[in-house]
Amino acid sequence: MNIEKAVLKASKKDCTACSTCATFKAENLRHALSRLGGVSKVKVDEITGKVTIEYDTQKIIFAKITERIEKLGYQVEILSREEIQ
Amino acid sequence: MKEHVKGVILVILLGLFALVGVVISGTQVAYAHEISIVLTLVAVALGYRIYLHGIRSLLHGNVTAQLFASIAIFISVIAGLVLPSASATGTAEAVGYLTAAAIVAFIILAGMTLEDYIIHRTRGALEKLINMSPTTARIRRDGDEVEVPIDEVKIGEIVLVKPGDKIPVDGTVISGHSTVNQATITGESIPVEKTVGDHTFAGTLNEHGALEIKVEKIAEDTTLAHIIQLVEEAQEKKAPIQNVADRFTTYFLPIMAVLASSVFAVSYFALGFDVALARTVTVLLVACPCALSIAVPVAVAGTIGNASMNGIIIKGGTHIEKLKDVKLVAFDKTGTLTFGEPKVVETKTFGRYSEVDVIKYAAIAEKFSEHPLSKAIIVKADEISLKIPDPTDFKTVPGHGVDAHYGNKHILIGTKMMETEISEEANQLMNRVESEGKTAIPVALDKNVIGVIVVADTVRGNSLEAVQRLKRLGVKTVMITGDNMRTAKSIAEQLGVDEVHAELLPEQKVAVIGELRKGNVVAMVGDGVNDAPALANSDVGFAMGAAGSDVAVETADVALLGDDLTKVEYAISLSRKAFNRMKGNIVYAFIWNIVALSLAAFGILNPVLAVVLAEAGCISVVINSALLLLSKPKPLAKIEGYTSRA
Repeated sequence: MNIEKAVLKASKKDCTACSTCATFKAENLRHALSRLGGVSKVKVDEITGKVTIEYDTQKIIFAKITERIEKLGYQVEILSREEIQ
Repeated sequence: MKEHVKGVILVILLGLFALVGVVISGTQVAYAHEISIVLTLVAVALGYRIYLHGIRSLLHGNVTAQLFASIAIFISVIAGLVLPSASATGTAEAVGYLTAAAIVAFIILAGMTLEDYIIHRTRGALEKLINMSPTTARIRRDGDEVEVPIDEVKIGEIVLVKPGDKIPVDGTVISGHSTVNQATITGESIPVEKTVGDHTFAGTLNEHGALEIKVEKIAEDTTLAHIIQLVEEAQEKKAPIQNVADRFTTYFLPIMAVLASSVFAVSYFALGFDVALARTVTVLLVACPCALSIAVPVAVAGTIGNASMNGIIIKGGTHIEKLKDVKLVAFDKTGTLTFGEPKVVETKTFGRYSEVDVIKYAAIAEKFSEHPLSKAIIVKADEISLKIPDPTDFKTVPGHGVDAHYGNKHILIGTKMMETEISEEANQLMNRVESEGKTAIPVALDKNVIGVIVVADTVRGNSLEAVQRLKRLGVKTVMITGDNMRTAKSIAEQLGVDEVHAELLPEQKVAVIGELRKGNVVAMVGDGVNDAPALANSDVGFAMGAAGSDVAVETADVALLGDDLTKVEYAISLSRKAFNRMKGNIVYAFIWNIVALSLAAFGILNPVLAVVLAEAGCISVVINSALLLLSKPKPLAKIEGYTSRA
């Protein structure tokens, strides 16, 4: 086990007029990421697009996470990355 | 689920506090008025999700409906505290400002919670697919059978699958025989036979026999995982109609801000502060951009989710809009409308020989030949459970046939091998067969023609139904094929295809598609690999039988994971339905907003009614879109005991 925590910003030009759309997008992103093998925790802030993700570096490489977010149509910005366990 | 429970509890608490507040204010209890105010304020505070969303979005640079609601609620609370006797609409029987604020918060929070739940359910189709995949596998390690978590299984290991269990990996059967229900992948519930050498998919259901499977793909690399990822990506891809809604919502809230200010200014000078305040609050609450902006994404997700449950992957909202306009479907013939493998369709015998004799001698001679026509004869012999001995000697003459001996018997196969005159009867038969685009193979034993075996490519079980369903939908059907005109016409007639283009090279197929596209939106259906250029040149390219072929799934606009061609019609009619609903929702939301706003601006609505209208508008649109998930294809006629080959 080698757990890393990363904070990313996922952004997409989308409707921001109310909470429904925001929740909808955030839910989709969170589900898609939580299904990646080796990912243990995912939090997506529906307003800021901030993604907090914890994963086992022995099971998944970081690039696969950003690639998945990009494939879902987002631009990814890495805010921080640290080993936590 | 926990999130939803928490959301519902908040809504209930808010409602209870507000209700008790109203009830107490009407009693003679000591400090009734003060207690009522406190309870109502607690109720308003329980709507914190609304204010947090509004304020955080504003800090992030976005003006949202939640911000408007927060401002309206805030104004009401202040007015309620400062002007305790004032009423929301200026009429005596109307609710007090404070109670109005609590009721408004209640309705909005209830709306948000309900919408979250519906959105969660819209993902349900996908979750169902995901849950199809077993989390453990029974494998053979060091001679023992052990059950291990799926992510500990390694490629090349042997997985044991009992009858009734789900298959946990993509792999090849190395032992056993069973039927497997592959509906999770292909959307087709007719079980498929699996025996040594056949490919299996993770997430499919093994029915009656035990299987040993050599692992080829696990976890995220399996076909099922790949499908789920594609569906997730597709659901994120906007339909063009979304741009209309987006453009509108961009200006919607700024316009509303201006409108609210004007209403306040005009009413203040004309009718006084009380009325102005009430009307402004109402205008802020009635604005419902949600109905406009969410209608399309939820409909897209619902449609793509629905399709994926039926073995169809539509690769994004754009394709839904293209599909709805399809006026012409071009099918490849070989391997698409037909199985693409010749089969024995008829055996004619002469003299004292039986059908079994003819097949038997032909099979002996053809036993070691690799020619597709020979295989058809061997398959036929297998079907009627014939044991085929080896020929004593044999010689294949390319383009002509086979010359073989079995004991002292001399077998000749093929028209050009015949050394004796072919009878008039046999000749007539062969001419008829050839005119139907089939192949006639005469079989001679010791220089006597004993029979003619007729071999042809056969149409798939659902091809006729697929073509007929498209016609009923008003869609023209066209066949494009590299095969000769005679064969093509014969199959087109069987299926009722409207137009035939035959004897085409792959690049000519592309040109034909280009011609067909003049004035028509054209879908092309092919196998996704050989037909890739023609698929790419059509408006919507359907790859069929795409499960297991990543290239086909990846490149097609729509991938049919199984080989049921009736899904083409389903994809088109589902898209028509989805688009009508998106369009309908946008128009409805637009009119709804205009009407509600006018009523609010002229003081016909009070804040509570306004927010009820706004939420009802939004929720009805979300539900209407999410319901697309529940559409079902028309059932096919069931064929008893029928199983298809993988």
